[in-house]
Amino acid sequence: MKSTQTTTEQLLLFRGTHWHKSLSPEELQNVMSQWTAWFDRLIEQGKIKSAHPLMDEGKIVAWKKGQTVADGPFAESKEAIGGYFLLQMTEFDEALEIAKECPALKYGMMVEVRPVAGLCPALHSVHTQLAHATP
Amino acid sequence: MQNNGGVPAGEISRLTEHLFRVEAGKLVSVLTGVFGIDHLQLAEDVVQEALVRAFRTWPYYGIPDNPAAWITQTAKNLAYDLLRREKRFREKQTEIVVSVEQWSSDSAVNDSPLFDTEIKDDRLRLIFTCCHPLIPQEAQTALALRTLCGFSAAEIAKAFLTTEAAIAKRLTRTRQKIRELRIPFEIPSGEEFSIRLNGVLQTLYLLFNEGYKASSGENLIREDLCYEAIRLGTLLADHPLANLPRTHALVALMLLNAARLPARVDEEGNILRLKEQERSKWSRPMIERGILHLGHAAAGDELSEYHIQAAIAACHCMAENYQSTDWLKILSLYDQWTKINKSPVIALNRAVAIAKVNGPSAGIEAVEAIQNRGELDSYYLLYAVRGEFEAQLRHFEAAAGYFRKALHLTEVKSEQKFLSKKVRALRSRVPGIAG
Repeated sequence: MKSTQTTTEQLLLFRGTHWHKSLSPEELQNVMSQWTAWFDRLIEQGKIKSAHPLMDEGKIVAWKKGQTVADGPFAESKEAIGGYFLLQMTEFDEALEIAKECPALKYGMMVEVRPVAGLCPALHSVHTQLAHATP
Repeated sequence: MQNNGGVPAGEISRLTEHLFRVEAGKLVSVLTGVFGIDHLQLAEDVVQEALVRAFRTWPYYGIPDNPAAWITQTAKNLAYDLLRREKRFREKQTEIVVSVEQWSSDSAVNDSPLFDTEIKDDRLRLIFTCCHPLIPQEAQTALALRTLCGFSAAEIAKAFLTTEAAIAKRLTRTRQKIRELRIPFEIPSGEEFSIRLNGVLQTLYLLFNEGYKASSGENLIREDLCYEAIRLGTLLADHPLANLPRTHALVALMLLNAARLPARVDEEGNILRLKEQERSKWSRPMIERGILHLGHAAAGDELSEYHIQAAIAACHCMAENYQSTDWLKILSLYDQWTKINKSPVIALNRAVAIAKVNGPSAGIEAVEAIQNRGELDSYYLLYAVRGEFEAQLRHFEAAAGYFRKALHLTEVKSEQKFLSKKVRALRSRVPGIAG
């Protein structure tokens, strides 16, 4: 049986927080204008559910040698997340196309596209079976 | 949440063109005043970070009511944090922190006349630092573009037709030199002021010419050099100390020449001579500003070379068409100019004016006088001008010879194109001439 599990949201994660270091003020202003136009259009089309830039500060909490440790900040890196868009859409491919339009790509920013999991697939299948079960 | 207060469509256009570039130039000066000239790079980095923060938040939350004030405040906060954090500032920390606090306590910074004066002073200080006579000329213009005009190394490289690495290296060396030679961040006083101001004006003049010469539409950033030179010149003219007739004369000459830039090339990037230019494309606002500065330049009895050049440019700008150009007046200005400056290039320009007033034969005589001095032997324009005069006298074969010589001597593409066209046109008149 084909999984009928669907998602209604896609997440765009903007990776890279130092790609703009070598950009000139003029270029920054230009990319910003393009970014704003892009963002405005998605808002107008009702495709953005939520979106925020992230601050560079922050720590990563982990378990090390029997206790919790908080390391960081790891703000400046190619991988660090600088912001996100939570998109309201079922099609992953549509989100992918939107990510490709990101005006900062050609300056070195990367966009990670991830479907937001609805219900976990295993549970989903249990739910479906239960729903179809005859008493 | 449905909407993050995103910017309504079209709001981004509220941002003035070049806002980031202009603000960067202002803030680097101010922050250099705070950190000290030894930390020029730090000032540049803080400004960059402030602009990056604008970039990262404005698209999501909208453009603040006063974008410039937002950037200033952010830069200040960053500077303040940095001063508290960094060990190297410990000694001067109290002093600096006090100045930053005074600075921050004024909430309406950008509207405050006091702050405005401070910015102007800091910018003037930085101009004098960048144009210090101990710094090589090339480095002066590169550093001024980086710190005062907000250009990146890549943009400067593009404008000067060199590599980004070369410019980055030049900038690093220059910042180092400023530290080593202890070049001060100050406005010179007394007699020194006048001498140093001449150096500054000269640098702006060279910056302008660098952008003006050989601009061919294929490299628009070169025209930006002209506009930046004008911006810095206007800054000087606005400052009570540098507000002198020769400063205004320089600004006037730059404005009146730059006003013609939009008409200088056709759609295909070919250079158009004055004669061929569509005068309606000349920038009226720039001409008006130029004439205004020329008026200020006339105060007092000073007559600098900038005055003469501005007056010549004004003659062209004021003429409704090429035919009504006041060549007699232009010639008398060149006469004056050649009296103060013996440069053969100016003499060559004067030859053009002579030909306009007294005919091509008189022009050839003037060109020969330059050739007899043994000067400009490898300057393509000498042959191009001579060729023009010969053609006017219907000496087509001689003309073609001169144009070909000029063609061999120039490396500027648009000029080559122009000269080849001339040679081709002549070839059709004289059967024996080879291209």
